[in-house]
Amino acid sequence: MRRVGIVGAGLIGTWHAARWKQLPVELVGFYDIVPEMATEAVAKFGGRLFDSLDDLLAAVDVMDVCSPTPHHNMPVLAAAAAGKDIVCEKPLARRPGEAKEMIAACQAAGVRLFVAQVVRFFRQFSQAKAVLDSGALGRPGFIRTVRGGASPLSPPLVGTKGESRRAWFADFEQSGGVIMDVSIHDLDFARWCFGDVERVFARGLTFAGVEPYDHALITLRFKNGAIGHVEGSWAYPPGRFRTRFEIAGDQGLLEFDSLAPAPLTMILRSDESPQAPGIPRPHSPLSPRDDPYFLELAHFLNCLESGDAFLVSPQDGLEAVTLSLATIESIRIGRPVYLEEFEESLV
Amino acid sequence: MKQVGIIGAGLTGAMHAERWTQLPVELAGFYVRTAERAQAAAQRYGGCAFSSLEALLAEVDVVDVCTPTSSHKELVLAAAAAGKDIICEKPLARRLGEAKEMIAACKAAGVRLLVGHVVRFFPEYARAKEILDSGRLGRPGVIRTVRGGNFPAPDAHNWYADFEQSGGVIMDMLIHDIDYVRWCFGDVATVFARGLTFSDVLDADHVLLTVRFQNGAIGHLEGSWAYPPGNFRTRLEIAGDEGLLEVDSLDTLPLSVTLKQEGTEMAAGVPVPESPMHPNDDPYYREIAHFLACLESGNDSLVSPQDGLEAVRIALAAIESLRTGGPVDVAAFDGE
Amino acid sequence: MNVKIGMLSYAHMHAYSYAACLKQIADASSVGVELVGIADDNPVRGQEAASQFDTRFFLSAETLLEQKLDGIIICAENARHRPLTEMAAPRTPHILCEKPIATTLADAQAMIDVCATHGTKLQIAFPVRFSPPVQQLKAILDEGTLGRIYSVKTTNHGRMPGGWFVDQALAGGGAVIDHSVHVIDLLRWFWNTEITEVYAEVGHSLLHPDLGIDDAGLLSFKLAIGAYGTLDTSWSRPESYPTWGDVRLEVLGERGIVRVDAFNQNLALYSDQTGKGQWVHWGSNPDLSLIQDFVDMIATGREPFITGYDGLKALEVALAAYRSAERGEPVSLPL
Repeated sequence: MRRVGIVGAGLIGTWHAARWKQLPVELVGFYDIVPEMATEAVAKFGGRLFDSLDDLLAAVDVMDVCSPTPHHNMPVLAAAAAGKDIVCEKPLARRPGEAKEMIAACQAAGVRLFVAQVVRFFRQFSQAKAVLDSGALGRPGFIRTVRGGASPLSPPLVGTKGESRRAWFADFEQSGGVIMDVSIHDLDFARWCFGDVERVFARGLTFAGVEPYDHALITLRFKNGAIGHVEGSWAYPPGRFRTRFEIAGDQGLLEFDSLAPAPLTMILRSDESPQAPGIPRPHSPLSPRDDPYFLELAHFLNCLESGDAFLVSPQDGLEAVTLSLATIESIRIGRPVYLEEFEESLV
Repeated sequence: MKQVGIIGAGLTGAMHAERWTQLPVELAGFYVRTAERAQAAAQRYGGCAFSSLEALLAEVDVVDVCTPTSSHKELVLAAAAAGKDIICEKPLARRLGEAKEMIAACKAAGVRLLVGHVVRFFPEYARAKEILDSGRLGRPGVIRTVRGGNFPAPDAHNWYADFEQSGGVIMDMLIHDIDYVRWCFGDVATVFARGLTFSDVLDADHVLLTVRFQNGAIGHLEGSWAYPPGNFRTRLEIAGDEGLLEVDSLDTLPLSVTLKQEGTEMAAGVPVPESPMHPNDDPYYREIAHFLACLESGNDSLVSPQDGLEAVRIALAAIESLRTGGPVDVAAFDGE
Repeated sequence: MNVKIGMLSYAHMHAYSYAACLKQIADASSVGVELVGIADDNPVRGQEAASQFDTRFFLSAETLLEQKLDGIIICAENARHRPLTEMAAPRTPHILCEKPIATTLADAQAMIDVCATHGTKLQIAFPVRFSPPVQQLKAILDEGTLGRIYSVKTTNHGRMPGGWFVDQALAGGGAVIDHSVHVIDLLRWFWNTEITEVYAEVGHSLLHPDLGIDDAGLLSFKLAIGAYGTLDTSWSRPESYPTWGDVRLEVLGERGIVRVDAFNQNLALYSDQTGKGQWVHWGSNPDLSLIQDFVDMIATGREPFITGYDGLKALEVALAAYRSAERGEPVSLPL
C-alpha cells in the first residue's frame, strides 16, 4: 500500500487527509512549519508528526503538498529529488518560472506530478465537460462563470486558530489575491472546455477591504475564436458562496447555478422567538464516493497504477498559473494581455 | 365620480384603500367598530371616519367590505338594503346559508356583488389560466396548488385563530386556491381532506385537500398556517394531456438583495427576494380596477357572486370531510 | 472473492442501469464482480443487452441459473417476478427484484415464502433509499429535529412509459402501482411505521387519451405514527418535460419543515439537436449504491437492507388505493 505524507496541515490539508483515509493508502503523517497544526492533524487523523520535510520524505511514497502557495515549490523540488510522486494543491506555483522548474525537476526525476485543480472533479463541471464533448452544444461559442464568496480574511469562519494562518492571503505578493485563489479554478475550467486563451482583459476593484482588489471581471478570447467571461469575488457577504456557469455553442446552451433550489431545504422555527423568521438552510448532499476531493485523489491513485495521464497535467497547472498572471497584469496595466507575448516576456 | 366607503381598516382594508386612491373614485371614508382605527385610516388615505354604518351608507355609491368573515353577511345585507353596489372580501361568508341570503338580497335590490377572489388577478395565475384556455396544455388532468405561511400572529384583533369565526386555514387560505382550481377545471364533484384543524395542535393549521372535478380531472391543494415565520410560499402546477405548467414562488426571484448583517461575529447575508411589478400590474390594483370597470360598464365581473358561493360550498365540504374522515359529495352538500 | 451475478429479463429499463452499475463496480472494486450473463425471453433485446455489456446471452432462464451464480437480478414485467423468483430461489442464494415486488399480495407472499424455504435472501430494488438527499432527510428525522411530525406531502411524478407498463395483466395497474411504492417504502423506512388508511382519486386515461389504464393518482393516507400525508403518482410529465419526473417529500413537523426534491441536482441543457430542454443529472447515482449494497450483502453474508416484506407492504398500499378508488371511500390497512 502506498504511503502518503501531507505537507501543510491547514484547512486543505485536513480535507485531503479525510479523503486519503477512505482510500487504500497509508496516511503516515503530517509536516507543517507550525508544529501545532501538524499535532492537531495527527490527533484527528492518526499518523505521525514529522519534524522536517526530509523526515517525511524518507517515510512516504507520495507527498501531498497542501501548504500556502509560496511554499509549494520547495517541497515539490525536494520530493522530486527524493524520487517521490507528488500531489500539489493549486495554484502549482506563484509564478510560471517556479512552476516550470517544478515540472522539469519531476520530469527529470521520473516522478508523477498531479496538480489538484479540483473543480474538474466537481460533478457539475465534469458532467458539463462531458456534455460539451458529446457535441450536444455544437461548436464552442461562449462561456460565463461566476465564483464568489467571502474573503479568507473576513470575520472568522473557522475559529481563531486559522486567522493567522490565513493572513498570507492578504499579502498579494504571496497569494496572488482573488485571481490565484478563486478565479484560477474557472480559468482552468474554461481552458479545459475551450482550449488555450489568446488574450485576456480584466478589471479588479476592492469592495471588501482587501487590496489591491477583491473582485474581478475577466474577459477572455480563446484561440478558437470563442469568448468567455469569468467573475471572481472575495467580496460577497459571508454565507452566500456561489458558483455558476453557462456554456453556449452554436447548437445549444448548458447552465448551472449553485443557488438554484437545493435538493434538501430545512426551515426550523427559531429557538428564541416564535415570531422570528425561520431561515431556510439548503443542502446539496452527494454520496461520499462522488465527493470531488475524494474523486481527484482516487484519480491520482488510479493513474499511478495504470500509468495513464492525469486529467490535470503538469502543463495544465503551468497554464493556469500563466493565465492567472496574465490576468493580474491586465488589471495592472488596464489593457488586454496577449498570452504568447506575455509568456515570452517572462523568460 | 363614484363615492367609495370601506368597512374594516385592517390589513385588507388598508390594501384596498391604497388602490382606491389610485383610481378615479372619491374615497369617502371608513367605518370600523373601533373608531380609532377608522380615524387612523382616514388620516392616512383620506376621507372621513364615519361614526356608524348608516352614516357611511348614506354617503357612498359603493361599499367595500373588508371585515372578518363572520360579519360579511350583516354588512352586505345592510348595503343591499341601502341600494349600494358591493365589493365583498373572500370568503363571501362563513356559512352557505349566509352566502345564499346575501346573493338573493343583492339580486332583489338590484345591486352588484363583487367577491374579492384576488388570486385570479395575480399575474402568474392569470397567465396560467390564459395558457390553459389556449389549449396548449390539452384537456384538464391534474392540478396542484400550495399556499402556506405561518400561523397568524396573536394580537388583540386576531380572529383567525378562532375557528368558528374564520373557518381556519381552509376558509381563510385554501379558499383562494379552491376558487382558482374551480375557475380552471370547473365544478368540483368530491373533496377529501386531511389536516390539523380538528387535532390537538393549537398553534398551527394545515390541510391537504384531494379533489375530484365533475369533468374527471383531479387536484391536490395544500393550505398551511404551519410553516416557520417568513416562509410564505405559493405554487401552481397544471397538467393536461398535452402539456404541463409550473410556477413556484420559491423560484421566482427577479430581485435578490443580500446585505451583510452589521455587528455580528458570524455575519451572514440573508437574501431578501422581491418580485417587483409595475403598480398597474399589482394584483389588488387590477382586481379593484376591474371591479370599478364592471360597476361602470355593467359588464359581468371575472368573479361572479355564484363563484363566491361555490368557493364557500367547497370549503365547507372540505371542513366536513375533515370532520367525518370521509369524502364529501360537493353538489349535494348543503351543510353549514 | 468473485461475486457472480446473472440478470433475468430486460423488460424493465432499469436493467440497463443496473448492468452499467455492475460494470462500474467491477472496474473500481477490490471485491471481484462479474456479470456472468443475461437471460431474456425477448432474445433480440437480450442479445443486444449482452453485447452492450460484454457478457453472455442465455436463451433460457434455466440455463443461466445453472451457472452457479451468487446473485440474480430480476427486471421482468411485474407479473413475471413470481415465476422467475420461484425458479431462481432454489438455485441462487441472493435475489434482487425490481419493484413492485409483484402484482398481487398472494404472489408477493409466495415469493417471500419460496425464498425463506430455500434460505435465499430476497431484496427489492428501491433505489431512492440510496439518494443522498433522502438519506440526509432520514438522518434529520432520526435526530428528531422536527419534533412531532404532522404531515408528509409527497410526489413521484413520471412520464407515461408505455409498453407492458400499461398492460393490466403484465403490470398489475398503471401509474398508481408504478409510482406509489417508492415513496410508500421511504415513509415506512423513515419511521418504521405502516400506512393505516388510504383514500385515492385515480384518473384513467386522464392525461393520455385512450390509454386504457390509470395514468394519474392522488393518494391521501394516514400513518400509524399519527401523521397524515398525500402522494401524487401521476404520469403527468409530458415528453417535452426536461426530465423523467421527480421524487419530492415535504415533511412538516412542529419545529419546522424539510423539503426534499431528491433528483434536483441538474444542469440545464438546451439543445437544438433535440429541440427541447433537458436536465442533466450530476447528483449521485442511487442505482449505483443499490447495486453496491446488493454486492455487499453477498460479500458479507448480511441480511437484506430492503426485504421482500418491505416490497409486500408497499404493494399493499397500491392495491388498497385501487380498492379505495373503486369504492369511493377510504380503505383501512392491512387489507
